[in-house]
Amino acid sequence: MVPITYPTQIAKKRARIVTPVAAVRASGLVKRFETTVAVDRVDLVVGEGEVRGLLGPNGAGKTTLLRLLFGLVSPDDGDIELFGRPLGASESVCLDGVAGFVEEPTFYPYLSGRVNLELFAELDGGGAADRVEEVLEQVELAGRGGDRVSGYSTGMRQRLGIAAALLRSPRLLLLDEPTSGLDPAGARDMGRLVRRLAADGTAVLLSSHLIGDLENVCDSFTVLRLGRVVWNGTAAQLRDQAPGSAYRLATSDDARALEIAEQRPDVHATRLENGELRLVVQGCLMGSAAPDGGASVDPYVLDLGRADVAVRRLELVVSPLESMFFALTSDVEVDSAALAELAEAALAGT
Amino acid sequence: MSATHALRPGEPIAGGRAGRSRGVWSVYRAERRKLATQLSTRLLALICILGPFAFAGVLKIQTGSPADTLFGVWVHSSGFALSLVVLSFCGAWGFPVLAGVLAGDIFSSEDRYGTWKMVLTRSSTRRSLFAGKLLAAITFSVGLLVLLAISSLAAGLLLVGDGALVDLGGHTLSTGHSLALVLAAWLLNVLPMLAFTSLAVLLSIATRNGIVGVIGPALVDLVMQLLLLVGTGVWLHLLLAASAFQGWYTLFTAHPYFGPLVIACIVSLIWIVACLVGSWLLLRRRDFAGAPVSRRPGWVVPVRVAVSAAVVVAFLAIASNWGPAGDTATKLKASLEPTFNNLTLLQQRELGRTVAPGAKLNLLTSCSRRASTPAGPGDWICTLNVFIPQPGAQPFQQTPVTYDVSVQSDGCYKAESPPTFVGQQTMKDAHGNQVVNPLFVIYGCFNPL
Repeated sequence: MVPITYPTQIAKKRARIVTPVAAVRASGLVKRFETTVAVDRVDLVVGEGEVRGLLGPNGAGKTTLLRLLFGLVSPDDGDIELFGRPLGASESVCLDGVAGFVEEPTFYPYLSGRVNLELFAELDGGGAADRVEEVLEQVELAGRGGDRVSGYSTGMRQRLGIAAALLRSPRLLLLDEPTSGLDPAGARDMGRLVRRLAADGTAVLLSSHLIGDLENVCDSFTVLRLGRVVWNGTAAQLRDQAPGSAYRLATSDDARALEIAEQRPDVHATRLENGELRLVVQGCLMGSAAPDGGASVDPYVLDLGRADVAVRRLELVVSPLESMFFALTSDVEVDSAALAELAEAALAGT
Repeated sequence: MSATHALRPGEPIAGGRAGRSRGVWSVYRAERRKLATQLSTRLLALICILGPFAFAGVLKIQTGSPADTLFGVWVHSSGFALSLVVLSFCGAWGFPVLAGVLAGDIFSSEDRYGTWKMVLTRSSTRRSLFAGKLLAAITFSVGLLVLLAISSLAAGLLLVGDGALVDLGGHTLSTGHSLALVLAAWLLNVLPMLAFTSLAVLLSIATRNGIVGVIGPALVDLVMQLLLLVGTGVWLHLLLAASAFQGWYTLFTAHPYFGPLVIACIVSLIWIVACLVGSWLLLRRRDFAGAPVSRRPGWVVPVRVAVSAAVVVAFLAIASNWGPAGDTATKLKASLEPTFNNLTLLQQRELGRTVAPGAKLNLLTSCSRRASTPAGPGDWICTLNVFIPQPGAQPFQQTPVTYDVSVQSDGCYKAESPPTFVGQQTMKDAHGNQVVNPLFVIYGCFNPL
């Protein structure tokens, strides 16, 4: 198991000295539902302009944590501050400057997307009503804005949810599984939008059970498991501590490639039923040598070149972050066999 | 997705554009718009506008009349009576249904569509959401009541005319007086209407189920209507919200009494406060934690609710004997005699006979209840012996007139006599016009307190 670190605690102590106001500062949060502890002593800090990924398998407590931050449920213990202000009792929670959604965004199905946004703008005081067209354009729904939401696809609802959030000119954006239902282009655009908002100073907290969705978007990650924080740190730290990665490999001479792999203790290659090779590289980073001088896929590829074996295809199927996520959220020790299983599952998915 | 606008450093937490005039009125405007776009609301508005005209139209092409309802026998002769019949019907059934449809789903629809998490993550507090939604429901409830009042009056006056209204004491009222009283009667239904709207809100929040919220008020009203029919005591009947819809009857009696009317207003207010406080406490404390995945729908909760409701209804049925009996032979006699007297004089005038102002019949009345107990609502029989002076050895000729009287717990009654005693429902007046026979059906009310 990768050692658990709590950089947020350190950041908290520093914050007290230099007093930067964090967008989110939660400490010791506990939420129970009957006998289940959904959130267990969670600390979380999201700074302004930071994009933090909230990761964890299903049932880890991500959505409950977001509900707590939105004031939708009251914590049994712990404190929440948004922009330095206590969240307070649920009946008086007024989420100025905070936007987003938990689970999938929902709307009044008998109304059009445009009217739904107008109603939400009205709930915000009516001032944003003149921005409805603008945000519909931003999420590329302007052409369908007049259609009833009941006729929208999951992806369109997701886009409308993002539009509803943008309508509030948020300084803190909380999004639960934001790429769920989006096509690859939509997911990519979504990532760009989040980065742009962060560049303007918006704090963003994105939750997902798929690290691949957030890998290229987040600056930092908080990993939850069974309601507890099991890892907290930057994206670079997460990569550094990754147990490995897996690839799909096709070469001009697969038999020779297998022989070369056997000579490297950190590389395990296997021939699959379809004739392709599966490559598991322990403790490596794709495309670059590990900072600590550890193993990487690069030396193996160079070895292949020296042996006149042409690499025709090298496709990452389990990224270092994915392997790290798996390591943090499962009881299994992540060795080459576990990585091979992960790769198999990923390949079966493709 | 393309670029978004830039945020200014140091901008307050509220986005500059989202900070204007938030709160109750923002929610109110949004809810008003939502309600206005709903098919059910539009259909109700259409029914409220066209319903009275359709009712008046049907009456126009037939000779029968809804004589069971107070003022029902007069619907062919006075447009005001038509409006009051519509009001009586709405008080019994219409208003609770209206309240249920308008307010019973206003909170639970957010559960059905899963939109609580969306509306609660805007710039409105739960307090504002509760108040705004409630205000919207009240606006539409009262709005439809006003629409119905205007429509029923317009239908009555346009299709029947502004003929004189005969009040519950047998007097004819002037047009202005009738109009004022009819408007006051509609106005007095606002409070009980709000009581049922509050009940619908409570059911909507407590059950999170639109069906219960919509049908619940009508069911509660039905149970209350049934409870009004049983028991002889006066207290429980007065505490039922459904009885408050009948408070306006007292305006039309010969000597208005305001005790039951004041109690009706207080009872309505108690229902409103109790339902709204309960609703707010439930909403305030609620965790919006998503749909429970582990809880399977079963029969335990519905069975428990049904059994509890049955126990409560049974207890209330027993409690309906609580307090003194409001409907007694003495009170009924004291009301029926002068009303019969006034209507007889009216009948004589319409037949073209000269009647001295303030003339009085010599009457000897006896009333008895057709049940084991001598007092209480239900079926009564009253015999009015009219002593007509005549020359000769026998100074008076005794003419008995027997009425079958149906008395309600609120002291209002309808008395009917066979045509052999009082003639047919209509008669020809001095000018040869077919008019209502005032003695065919007698309506009246007495103070049950």
